[in-house]
Amino acid sequence: MAPSLPQFSAARMRSYIFRLPLFTRSIVAVIILLWVISIQSVWNVQQWGALIPDQIGLSSMYRTNTFPLVHVGFFHAFLNILALTPLLERFEAEYGTLTTLALFLGPLSTIPALLYTFVERGILHMNTTVLGASIWVFTLLAMEAVKTYKTNPYFSLGTTQVPTWTTPLVMVLFVSFLVPNTSFLGHMCGLAFGYGWGLGYLKFLAPPEWILRWIEGKLNLLGRLPHYVSVDQKTYGRFGVLPTANVSSVSLPTDGSIGMGLGLDIGIWDVNAHASGSLLRRDPRLLKLPPYLSFLCIVIGVAWLLVLPLDNYSRKTYISENALLPGQVHTYFAGSDQNIFGGYKREVDALGEKSNVEVNDKLEEFFRASGLKVARQKYEYKSAGETYSGENIYAILHAPRGDATEAIVLVGAWRNVDGVLNRNGVALVLTLARYFKTDSRAGPQAWVDAYHDTHQSPAIESLPLKSGALQGAVVIDYPFDHRFESLHIVYDGINGQLPNLDLLNTVVAIASGQMGIGTSLQQMWQHTDSYKDRLQTMLRGMLNQGLGHASGPHSSFIPYHVDAITLQPYGEGWQDEMAMGRVIESTFRSLNNLLEHLHQSFFFYLLMQANRFVSIGTYLPSAMLVAVNFTIMAIFLWVKSGSPLDPSTKLASAGGKPSLTIIKKGDAAAIAPKEILGVRERQLFMPLAVVAGSQFLGVLPLYLFNHTPGNFLSSIFSIFAILNSVFPFIVSSAIVRYFRPTNQQYQLIKAFSLLLLGMFLSSLATLNFSLAFLVGLLAAPLTYMQPFPGRPISTAFLVLVLSLLAPTTVLFAGTYYWKLGVGEVLKEAAFGWDVWGMNTQVVVWCVWWPAWLVGMILLFGKPRDECKEESKVVN
Amino acid sequence: MVLLVELHSFAHTKIKMSLDRRKVTIFGAAAAVRLLLFTAFPGLPDLLTARVEISTPVTSFKRLQEGLFLYNHNVSPYDGGVYHQAPILLPLFSLLPSSATYPAFTYLLYILVDLLSANALMKIAESGEAGSSKLYTSPRKDKKWTSHAIAAAFLFNPFTIATCIGRPTSVFTTCAILHAISKAVVGSSFTSMFAISIASYLSMYPILLFPPLVLLCFDRRRRKSQNETIYSFVIGNVIAVAGFLYSLLQMSSIITGSWEFLESTYGVQLLLPDLTPNVGLWWYFFIEMFDSFRNFFLGVFWIHLSSYVGGLTIRLRPQPLFVLTILLGIFAIFKPYPSISDTSLFLAMLLLYRHVFPLMRYTFLALSTILYATLLGPAFYYLWIYAGSGNANFFYAITLVWSLGLSILVADALFAVLRDEWEVERPEMRGKEIRQI
Repeated sequence: MAPSLPQFSAARMRSYIFRLPLFTRSIVAVIILLWVISIQSVWNVQQWGALIPDQIGLSSMYRTNTFPLVHVGFFHAFLNILALTPLLERFEAEYGTLTTLALFLGPLSTIPALLYTFVERGILHMNTTVLGASIWVFTLLAMEAVKTYKTNPYFSLGTTQVPTWTTPLVMVLFVSFLVPNTSFLGHMCGLAFGYGWGLGYLKFLAPPEWILRWIEGKLNLLGRLPHYVSVDQKTYGRFGVLPTANVSSVSLPTDGSIGMGLGLDIGIWDVNAHASGSLLRRDPRLLKLPPYLSFLCIVIGVAWLLVLPLDNYSRKTYISENALLPGQVHTYFAGSDQNIFGGYKREVDALGEKSNVEVNDKLEEFFRASGLKVARQKYEYKSAGETYSGENIYAILHAPRGDATEAIVLVGAWRNVDGVLNRNGVALVLTLARYFKTDSRAGPQAWVDAYHDTHQSPAIESLPLKSGALQGAVVIDYPFDHRFESLHIVYDGINGQLPNLDLLNTVVAIASGQMGIGTSLQQMWQHTDSYKDRLQTMLRGMLNQGLGHASGPHSSFIPYHVDAITLQPYGEGWQDEMAMGRVIESTFRSLNNLLEHLHQSFFFYLLMQANRFVSIGTYLPSAMLVAVNFTIMAIFLWVKSGSPLDPSTKLASAGGKPSLTIIKKGDAAAIAPKEILGVRERQLFMPLAVVAGSQFLGVLPLYLFNHTPGNFLSSIFSIFAILNSVFPFIVSSAIVRYFRPTNQQYQLIKAFSLLLLGMFLSSLATLNFSLAFLVGLLAAPLTYMQPFPGRPISTAFLVLVLSLLAPTTVLFAGTYYWKLGVGEVLKEAAFGWDVWGMNTQVVVWCVWWPAWLVGMILLFGKPRDECKEESKVVN
Repeated sequence: MVLLVELHSFAHTKIKMSLDRRKVTIFGAAAAVRLLLFTAFPGLPDLLTARVEISTPVTSFKRLQEGLFLYNHNVSPYDGGVYHQAPILLPLFSLLPSSATYPAFTYLLYILVDLLSANALMKIAESGEAGSSKLYTSPRKDKKWTSHAIAAAFLFNPFTIATCIGRPTSVFTTCAILHAISKAVVGSSFTSMFAISIASYLSMYPILLFPPLVLLCFDRRRRKSQNETIYSFVIGNVIAVAGFLYSLLQMSSIITGSWEFLESTYGVQLLLPDLTPNVGLWWYFFIEMFDSFRNFFLGVFWIHLSSYVGGLTIRLRPQPLFVLTILLGIFAIFKPYPSISDTSLFLAMLLLYRHVFPLMRYTFLALSTILYATLLGPAFYYLWIYAGSGNANFFYAITLVWSLGLSILVADALFAVLRDEWEVERPEMRGKEIRQI
């Protein structure tokens, strides 16, 4: 019983599956259903249905019937279905559906189960639970083996003759050796029954044939149930599915050819199965699927993100680089340093309102007094018509025994991001005395650029003093003068890059573990560890990452692969500046332990609490699914645009009955395959030009908003927003007027536009997940935009929806929500573009906006009716 | 009667004039776009020169500059193992003013080379060889793009433009190959052989194009040599190519003063000592390779690359131009140091086969795969090299996808052409679905 492996063919496979008899189908369905039910955690299906020898009593006898239907998990169920289906199908085809039903719900499961229970409980005194359909598989295998043995008793292995009935035994051994957790005894019981049946000792168990025939005849099962196999195959053939009752063979002469009747879909499939190997492609149902599929992608993508904060999907953070040893070192910053700190703080307060150069003069004096090498750097940036200039001052502390190949940076900005004097922060830096700078936004960037020799030379001075490769940077932002409660850690870099998770973990471990200071992220001052708070933290993090701006002075370091964070004390508590100093000292000592660059832990993560995160593998699918939805639609539209004009619509427009269309289809499949196989010629030029044109137009707003002087930005934005709302209409009318695009061309425009969008977003998702996700979500309605000729109300509604989701509207709404001026935001963006190398606006104007524009053009489109024109030509 | 003839010829010239105007417009626009990119974004040429997708160790403009500097200071350009390109480029580029001080001359040279390539491509398209060769005429041959459209598609292909801006020396090879083919389709085998010798001299691999090219020349040979047998024709051309190559190599040894250039140019192509990443499949494989297997696999890779030549040439004997096209596609995938410049050449040649496009089945899939790889490649390279958050596998995975897309395209084009031939043999099977077994 070893069939030669036929060449795999999708069409044959499909036809096989479609011809599976009734009982086999139902068993497979029940197995799948039980597996699906077992996914939830309320009702333990396995516990309910399994065969547990100890619990077999009169009331729980049902277990002897249910255990083959229940499976442990997906793979178990899947593999068993795979093994069972062909065997069961053979059995059913031979004995008929009713007999199979009676046998499989009765003796075929009960007897092996009782046998197993008896041996397990009575002889072995054990209690091993069994479940799964494999027992049936072996029963059926044994039957087949006996049958084979009767016709073909031996196969020869070398010179030895091996009886064929032993093959199932070999398989049982094989399975029990190779597959873990399989019940040898259970399989053997199944085999025993199978041999018994095959040798004819158990045939009496089968219900007598005349009863079955009587039932069949009374209930007319053959007529009522699809795929039913009759008891008496001599009358109806091996498969009782060549029905005489439900087929009306009609012959209709259409186009001089013979069409066949309604019930013939099975027949047609068979014809095609021989004619072509790729039937699935031709299935009309398949062509209806993609819009729903892509909607499903969006829904799953969003749902995926929403379940991430749950305990099952996120993980607790852990330190992967063992060399860090956070909090294991003694810190020396204590006691008398308090006095030094107080002194410096007074000096800093006195310098408060002085100019940059005066401040630096004084600071240089302090650094020199501590015996450090000091240097200064002047810089000047121009952005949005304004000049940002200043001077950095920094000092280098050489390790007494080090070789100066590596360095760690400690930064204190003179004024923090909000422009408040960083009073205690600077004093703390002076006390810890490493390195110091003045401006939060431009200064660090100038310094890091110059450190790596990528600065633009005349505007930004080169650094006179350098040390080794930077390993990490910690920024202190401690602007107030009282004791604090906890530490706020800022970690987002430019363009959504993040520092290595180990740096963050180290600080959190030191702050909470060693010093007993609480930590928080993303301005979540209160975090109750609830789902809502976690989600909020994560979404805030995603928003920050998506905007891609610098959230603190540390951001400038991250593009150079220097892991950096900003520490901000906040709240009213009892922690003083000395505690802060100790946290920083301990962090530095941990970083100092590093043998190589931070690389062990994650670079891509979403944090939902200081000690809980999801890594890229877990969260990336959500953005990818959103991006994939566009690609699916693009491929679908491409296929659709190439398929010939649907004959059914042609007929329908000519006034034919819907029933005729089926005949027409059958006709086309059987008689004139060329009609179906022929691909309609696609007119590519116009669609390509429209999509390429709108992509190029995206450069305009990008240039405009990055190079306009700051004061005009808000007025320019208003003008642009107004133009933006009428522009698509003008473009679309122009296209309709000059090109008169067909429906196919509109489909192609959309296909190309969505293809590009999907491609850009999935590439972006690897660089800046959050931005890709946000843009993908806001652009999701574009999947469903198409011309709606003759339906002005739905068009108007969709135009309204799409206008609300325009990049300009979203930008405006965002600034309104956070109570910022549009001009301010755009100025900041231009600053980011010029100084930090921020790329968010490229994505907005060159990825999102062109796709949106094409969506609007599609909505205003008026496709030329090809069918009508054809009939005109005929007339 | 005379008047009629005159009118006719007048109309002819008028058509020719207007056609020429179209050509001038396309060429002018292509040159303008390139000049604009060169001048409006002064950082762009250097940025693209540094991209691994454009510059390979054997074509990089940066390395050419290095070699040029050594050459002009009377040091052997092959010292230091940076320069791996043909020696003859050195005196040619020395004639130009230094590209650091007067970059405009270099820009103009590269633009000119692109336009020359497009011109040769137009000649190939105009010959109609793709649709009907001497031994085979496709039933679909009337469906084709004009030579102008093909030239425009080549010139405005982003890959071609990026290659031009990045200035690798592979554009010279491209130009030489296209000229060799354009001369072959008009039957001037001598010039064609000269061009293919130049191409082979510059990059070595084009020598593999010799068999189909010589067949193309043979099919299209002039009337006076019509009674020549194929053997004597091939032998004559082999001698011609050998002569050209010998003189070019001799000239090179005179220029550099020794024969050591052979090892640094062709030796590098053969033995792959420089494992700088590129869009091909070799570098990663040979990084991972244990040294003891290296020679064996070098042999395997080279045999694999060259094994296509014989089979395709024999199987597609009636259509030698298509063999050339497919081989260019295969080289763009399996060469030791491929770049997007090879892809742009393959895509340009593929456009000549517009008439079999309806028979291709996976164009959309292949082109979207290529586009995806084009976007993801730089992103993953960035993650690997700059951000440090990825590793070499990221980029290699994308080069695999890229090669996959190209392979699908090559295989599909081959299928379409074979199907086209088959339908001539068996007209009753037109339009029916068949399967390759």
